[in-house]
Amino acid sequence: MADLILDVRHLHKAFGALAATDDLNLGVERGEVHALIGPNGAGKTTLIAQLAGELTPDDGTVTFDGRDITALPVHQRPHLGLARSFQITSVLMDFTSLDNVAMAVQARAGHSFRFWRRARAERALRVPAMDYLDRVGLGARAHVRVSALAHGERRQLELAMALALEPRLLLLDEPMAGMGPEETQRMVQVLKALKGEITMLLVEHDMDAVFALADRLTVLVYGKAIATGTPDAIRANPDVRRAYLGEEGGA
Amino acid sequence: MADHSHRMGAITRKTAVLAFGFVLLAALPGIAHLMDEPFLVSTFSRVLIYAMAAVSLDLILGYGGMVSFGHAAFFGVGAYVVGILAHHAAEGTTVLGLAGTNLAVVSWAAAVLVSAGVAAVIGALSLRTDGVHFIMITLAFAQMLFFLFVSLEPYGGDDGLMMMGRNDLFGIDLSDDMTFYYLCFIALMAFLLLTRRLVDSRFGMVIRGCKQNERRMRALGFPVYRYKLTAFVIAGAGAGLAGALSANHTEFVSPDFLHWTMSGDIMIIVILGGIGTLYGPVVGAVVFLMLEEFLPLAFDSVGLEGLKEHWRFLFGPILILVVLFARRGLFGLLAGREARDG
Ligand SMILES: Nc1ncnc2c1ncn2[C@@H]1O[C@H](COP(=O)(O)OP(=O)(O)OP(=O)(O)O)[C@@H](O)[C@H]1O
Ligand SMILES: [Mg+2]
Repeated sequence: MADLILDVRHLHKAFGALAATDDLNLGVERGEVHALIGPNGAGKTTLIAQLAGELTPDDGTVTFDGRDITALPVHQRPHLGLARSFQITSVLMDFTSLDNVAMAVQARAGHSFRFWRRARAERALRVPAMDYLDRVGLGARAHVRVSALAHGERRQLELAMALALEPRLLLLDEPMAGMGPEETQRMVQVLKALKGEITMLLVEHDMDAVFALADRLTVLVYGKAIATGTPDAIRANPDVRRAYLGEEGGA
Repeated sequence: MADHSHRMGAITRKTAVLAFGFVLLAALPGIAHLMDEPFLVSTFSRVLIYAMAAVSLDLILGYGGMVSFGHAAFFGVGAYVVGILAHHAAEGTTVLGLAGTNLAVVSWAAAVLVSAGVAAVIGALSLRTDGVHFIMITLAFAQMLFFLFVSLEPYGGDDGLMMMGRNDLFGIDLSDDMTFYYLCFIALMAFLLLTRRLVDSRFGMVIRGCKQNERRMRALGFPVYRYKLTAFVIAGAGAGLAGALSANHTEFVSPDFLHWTMSGDIMIIVILGGIGTLYGPVVGAVVFLMLEEFLPLAFDSVGLEGLKEHWRFLFGPILILVVLFARRGLFGLLAGREARDG
């Protein structure tokens, strides 16, 4: 049996009459990059939100590393090793990039009921934070306020913050959303470098990026996982071609 | 950016403004003496006390993003603790099995603890809501306490409670206005140092993060409720100490200390001085209370006695101008771009 770090069973989530997650089963194996693809409105973000704890499923279970986390509060999940990035960039706009990542480092460094030492002077926070910024290629912009960063740079920051949590499973909700081709290429390289080190569940529309990165794919349509397999198997799957890949210009 | 300016240690516009303000307040009794206006010393004691209450509100409002509209509750509770203990000391009676006291150390510590306790209860309930609900619920709690004290006949009800002189601080004569002024000065400076360190600490970064994006802070793994509640309690304690000083200043406490207009005044002081600047509220307190003192006199002298009671009519437009044209308040006008900590 495969070594599953994430095991989602019979997950249900409805918004009124709309089943955004419909009897969904999904297993992410330790070490893999597992891509989650599907048309707009398929329920990808809704799934990520349930995995991150922001939405409570109506039914079903989420097991992370052998532990049932279905009802665990959001803020406890990063401490188990489950971190996420947001499809719509969600960072601390009045802080610098370095402050943002240092905040993530701080989150992992025990409680923050420390009232006297200047946090911005703590090397234990700033040095690792700088490393993560370098890793995503944002080192040169460390001291710039986030409100002055370009969209693509904020996407990089989003990733650096998630990395700084040193997750064992990283949930990435369209990390390349809104990026230009060059930026996307850079982001793919950054993620490639992380492959093998961190297990990832990657939501992405950019098929080139998906096929460049993913070990396995799950295709989501109307809240249901209609297929899971290797990129080649998915490409050849007739259901998938009909439901999804066919729309992409019949390539 | 912040890292650079601190590392350089250069004299910036902000440090110059702060140094000037510090010297001005430190020398105020001397200045008042030279101007032959000795009453200014007492007036400015009040300024410093209000400044302390406003700084404590800025801590949660400007740094934590918690728009508390009931800050007078903690100010008033602190004042009442001092008044009630003094009352029982004078009567030789007990309250909740405890003897009254005129000892500042005991009385003020009690004021801080009780205010913090009240803030813990109010905060624990209010912080489960946010936005407009949070504003309304903090206001409602403060008004509840206001009516509680109005109905407390043993402590004067509506009329309030007179104190027979100020508390006893290690035998220092606090009835001397200059001595009392310097006590308030030291207390405010100590409180500013404390809050300065606090907002720059790990704890401070967390509440500032919550103000910007609570959802993200949660996703990073911070139990935001706990941090916000702690900040709320610290702010309540600070306001309680200001209240204790205020009771000593006026030698009198009344439900007016907790009235919603008092909460409004504290908030106006913060907005006028500059939200999220820590020092701005001190500037705000100086300007607000000076206007309160002198605008009525000004109306009087130009023959507009009818407006005397309504000095706020003129104050309103001033506040609107400040809010519109100085987004970091008066302190922002003085200190420039680095006024706000963000
Ligand atoms: N809070 C909500 N209330 C009601 N409906 C919602 C809510 N969130 C999502 N939905 C609906 O649920 C469905 C799934 O949305 P979701 O955002 O998960 O899709 P997605 O696969 O992430 O799409 P995209 O590729 O556009 O990001 C959509 O039809 C959406 O309109
Ligand atoms: Mg989505």
